Amino acid sequence: MEQPGGGYPEDLTQSAICQDNSQDNEPLTVPMPIDQITLDILWSRLIATVNEQAAALIRTSFTAIVRDSGDLAAAVFDRRGRMVAQSVTGTPGHINPMATGMVHFLERFPIDTLRPGDVLITNDPWMTASQINDLTIATPVFKDGRAIALFANCCHALDIGGRGLAADSRSVYEEGLYLPLLKLVDAGKPVEPIFDIIRANVRTPEEVIGDIHSQIIANEVGAEQLLSFLDEFGLPDIEGLADEIIDRTEAAMRAAIRDIPNGDYRSEMTIDGFDDTPILIKCCVRIRGDDLEVDYAGSSGQVPLGVNVALNYTQGYTTYGIKCAISPEVPNNAGSFRPVRITAPEGSILNAVHPAAVGGRHLVGHFCPSTVMMALADALPEKVQAPGFDGIWNSQLEGELGGDGHKRFAYIWFSAGGTGAMHGKDGLSAVAYPSGIAGFPAEVIEASSPIIMHKRELRQDSGGPGQWRGGLSQVMEYSITTGKPVYLQSFYERTKYPAPGLKGGSPGVAGRLSANQEKQPIPKITSQIEPGAVVRIELPGGGGFGPAGERDPAAVLADVRGGYVSKEAAERDYGVVIDTARWVVDEAATRARRPAGA
Amino acid sequence: MGRTLRLGSDIGGTFTDLVLASDDGRTFEIGKVLTTPDAPDDAVVVGAGQVMAAAGVTGDAVAHVIHGTTLFTNALIERKGARTALITTRGFRDALEIAREHRYDMYDLRMKRPVPLAPRHLRLEVDERVLVDGTVLKPLDEASVHALIPQLKAEGVEAIGITLLHSYVNDAHERRVAEIIAAALPGVAITVSSDLVPEIREYDRTSTTLANVYVKRIAERYLGRLQDRLVKEQGIEGALYVMQSNGGVSRIEEATRYPVRLVESGPAAGALAAAYYGALTGHLDLLSFDMGGTTAKACIIDKGEPLIAPEFEVAREYQFKKGSGLPVKVSVIEMIEIGTGGGSIARVDGLRRLQVGPQSAGAKPGPVAYGQGGTEPTVTDADLALGYLDPGFFLGGRMSLDVGGAKRAIAAKVGEPLGLDATAAAWGIHQLANEAMASAARIHAIERGKDAARFPIFAFGGAGPVHAYGVARILRSSRVIYPLGAGVMSAIGMLTAPLAFDFVKTFPGSLDAMDWAGAMRVIDGMESEGRSIIAKSVAAEDIRFQRFADMRYRKQGYDVRVPIPAGRLDTQSGAEIKARFEEVFERLYGHVIPNTPIDILSWRVIALGPKPELTLPTIKAARGGAKEALKGHRAVYIPGERAFREVPVYDRYRLSAGAELQGPAIVEERESTVVINGPGTIRTDEWSNLVVDIPKT
Repeated sequence: MEQPGGGYPEDLTQSAICQDNSQDNEPLTVPMPIDQITLDILWSRLIATVNEQAAALIRTSFTAIVRDSGDLAAAVFDRRGRMVAQSVTGTPGHINPMATGMVHFLERFPIDTLRPGDVLITNDPWMTASQINDLTIATPVFKDGRAIALFANCCHALDIGGRGLAADSRSVYEEGLYLPLLKLVDAGKPVEPIFDIIRANVRTPEEVIGDIHSQIIANEVGAEQLLSFLDEFGLPDIEGLADEIIDRTEAAMRAAIRDIPNGDYRSEMTIDGFDDTPILIKCCVRIRGDDLEVDYAGSSGQVPLGVNVALNYTQGYTTYGIKCAISPEVPNNAGSFRPVRITAPEGSILNAVHPAAVGGRHLVGHFCPSTVMMALADALPEKVQAPGFDGIWNSQLEGELGGDGHKRFAYIWFSAGGTGAMHGKDGLSAVAYPSGIAGFPAEVIEASSPIIMHKRELRQDSGGPGQWRGGLSQVMEYSITTGKPVYLQSFYERTKYPAPGLKGGSPGVAGRLSANQEKQPIPKITSQIEPGAVVRIELPGGGGFGPAGERDPAAVLADVRGGYVSKEAAERDYGVVIDTARWVVDEAATRARRPAGA
Repeated sequence: MGRTLRLGSDIGGTFTDLVLASDDGRTFEIGKVLTTPDAPDDAVVVGAGQVMAAAGVTGDAVAHVIHGTTLFTNALIERKGARTALITTRGFRDALEIAREHRYDMYDLRMKRPVPLAPRHLRLEVDERVLVDGTVLKPLDEASVHALIPQLKAEGVEAIGITLLHSYVNDAHERRVAEIIAAALPGVAITVSSDLVPEIREYDRTSTTLANVYVKRIAERYLGRLQDRLVKEQGIEGALYVMQSNGGVSRIEEATRYPVRLVESGPAAGALAAAYYGALTGHLDLLSFDMGGTTAKACIIDKGEPLIAPEFEVAREYQFKKGSGLPVKVSVIEMIEIGTGGGSIARVDGLRRLQVGPQSAGAKPGPVAYGQGGTEPTVTDADLALGYLDPGFFLGGRMSLDVGGAKRAIAAKVGEPLGLDATAAAWGIHQLANEAMASAARIHAIERGKDAARFPIFAFGGAGPVHAYGVARILRSSRVIYPLGAGVMSAIGMLTAPLAFDFVKTFPGSLDAMDWAGAMRVIDGMESEGRSIIAKSVAAEDIRFQRFADMRYRKQGYDVRVPIPAGRLDTQSGAEIKARFEEVFERLYGHVIPNTPIDILSWRVIALGPKPELTLPTIKAARGGAKEALKGHRAVYIPGERAFREVPVYDRYRLSAGAELQGPAIVEERESTVVINGPGTIRTDEWSNLVVDIPKT
């Protein structure tokens, strides 16, 4: 059985309130007790409220990554569990799965059974962010004794016990403490056994419990603001406002979908996978009027490793890719999910079933946006981006420090390759798409670990040639100073299957891992690095867009001048000959090579 | 002479403001001349002449000129600086372009990265390597430096930034490279990263170094010329000081070495004015609110001082989006800026939502009401349509406004699509602008652990007094203070700025195992250098020092700036520094983290001169109350009644001290209009400030 995709189980939405949800597709003018301008004010106030909720969480979090990169999501939901507004923070993997997760809380704890002072928690990967480190905490808000809304936020816990985020876990049981849908605070009274269990199961209890308190406080900040503005405007709840916001958003999303011609648009993306077994992501985007369906039928099956993806995470990244391509300006709320239905066969890598291991779900989930955009390339040639390196590269080193030999170190960092090109725009070099995760400066890496970086530069010729060139990736060389062997876990993708180009553009260059030692390290397999060896990582470049023969020779000249593209590659891939003594295009030689162009 | 006259001058986008004041309060002249973008010093020199003439003094009476300008910011935004090269450690020339690898906008596939100030073919490398502890892995190969010289010459490079890895712990290689380059290329501007920003993180350090050297020649030429002209044309021999973004001033010798420290000078001076007026009127905590033509800025004044941040960004690709600009690691008065100003354009988006800004009609064509060809309705047009501005008294009558045109544009572009009449649409524009500013201010406060509702608002800028009451009501703030001269606050703020010079030095260690003798050597070194710089202008006994440490819990990404004690530091100081760190951390983040080691990364010293005396002119109390200030009545929109009502309009210059009015009311001055479109008690104090108390609803 496939789960209902893309949004809210319709039965729950409709059982909660008796209203006609028929879609007449015209901009809705639902009769409201408030005028147009008041609506705009209330909407902006609601968005401000969730931004304040997020700011409170960021401010009080114990976890550097939450504060540094805003790696969290915060939102307000109506009585029906529909997300009405969301803060402008976070990664797509937190934001969208949380949006669709509230219905699960309300199935377990129906809205009118909740009491003031209740706080709910879960980290169920199949209901929220597909990783048990991501804790979601929800708090109902009461006005005159009636639950009128819920605030929720989702935040990455520093630790959740178990093996940590190893990609080679065999089941979710190895990945840490699993918290089903629970009441964490009951009518104002903390349920101490839950706190005790968490405290006893994690490696950093101060920080993890501290962050849970921050999450609770953030929801309270949001609730306080919401109640005070409802009072100011004399509103009993947000139901009417939510209808208006969600319906308008849905109408805007439907209008964007209507601009895409009806049809079935297909694509396939192959990525390295594990142990010489590539993973296939296959998708069909079906446009019918103002409905959009993404079906991942035909994709690889789930694997006995920690890279499986729960459907809600698949949906989160897929929705994100669709939104980037067709409606970046439409707000993210329940209305933007409604016209989109995303499915994958149960037991496939993109809809893995419990108890599959899912800790490394980003290693596969990050490729969903590119796959969907590839499918839409013919329908929306000016709006989609060619695939890029897509999956963030995560390097984990672990080993003995020097000296007495008992102390050990562990260090993790993230790196970005090149993004894909699109109509009218080259790809970005060394920028994380879709995850948006920041990298680490070399000086900080050296200050925090026994690593010496020898080189960190853009990788010449790594961007896929095209009328618009793919973004360049980067090359890093480093060695370890401990004088002892260390172990490298490298979560690297696209080392065998490069990022494809679009509309006649060429693929980017594949990634590569090597070291100047006899036994070569292998991506995704724990590899030993010998003392003194220099490890070299070359990340994958982004795919090109449009035929390289049509690239403006002036752009090729600028690329060669900057060393982004070599003189040889300019001639070979673009048919443009550069006079590097005078830094001009050799017009005659170029004309000879590019009969149709220039 | 007996008394000291000082001249503050601030160049803004449209006007150059001047204030000439004496320390005894007898002279206080305000001047305003149109900015002269092609030669900004013209307006300063002309304006200086005007205010001196008005005050009846000549140039020899002026002891100091304090100057602030957006010239360097504009050069960075418009990329009109020098042809700039970078010299760095081999293998790392792309740190500048790899930057942080993140996305500052989640959904926009057409997101652009800031273009590096040094193009890739001018990012050159030398053979050398210093490690994180300062030891040398590979000595500097001087031949590799000499090898670059022909290329630098051939390319016509005018400015060179030098940033080598870990130079913040060992600057020997950077200095040697600079010596070789300076000897070979005498006319070229050079900035060495360990001089300007000796802090870890190569991208931020390189970005700051290049931004500095990129505008260095512009600063030298401009400030030199200005000083010359003030002497020759106005007879002002007194020293020229330049306003810095950290709220202090510096002599032009230092200012031209570190021009990147001047970038946010205008807004910084505005915040200083807020702090000054706050102290004067007994409000040590304030929310400074400055709304101009294109943006609004909010800044928290905490216990009499503006908050200081260690870095900011210039030249943002997305005007107000964090992460879209060039990071600059210099101290700056911390503020939030959003794209809401008088010129912000209102439009209806695809979701039939009314949106205000960040697109702006700017000064040209400006709002529809200016009649200079603007067709898109703006916040100023809405303010006019609501009766908040007098079409015949804009800028004191210098410009007449087209009310009909403004209303028609609002009706056509906003009213019709939304099914609203022009008044409802205008109110929507006004109020949504207020909502955006209130929301930004509230988040700015929350991020700093403050509650915006507790802060009185200090309103200035051309549009600030028009909107501050509405913003205060949204924030539930109970008081708004409107200084006289809303348009010249930055120039006034400059007159309150002390000489200040910032130093920072990285000398890391764990708090419980700190090398205190080493730390004291670092601090003493910075203090003695600061003393020698400040002592050029003030008596040695007037020099003060503030010390800070950048501290963090081990493994936390953020460090916080902690004030630390004066005097000799040793093992005994550890407990007090820890307590101060926890105090700061708790204020910022709401908690402390027990049982976690604390590290110090860098040490900072600010050397300060004395705060100059500024005495504002006072006005007399008069028995007549407000009657004689009443100019008449006009119909203004009262949101509480959803209707226009005739309200009294007062002439600000004729309000006497102690005069008390009741809202709704309008109080007009030349550069702005105080709009109280609801209940409130309006008092005039002895310095002509209006203090408005808003009743709780």
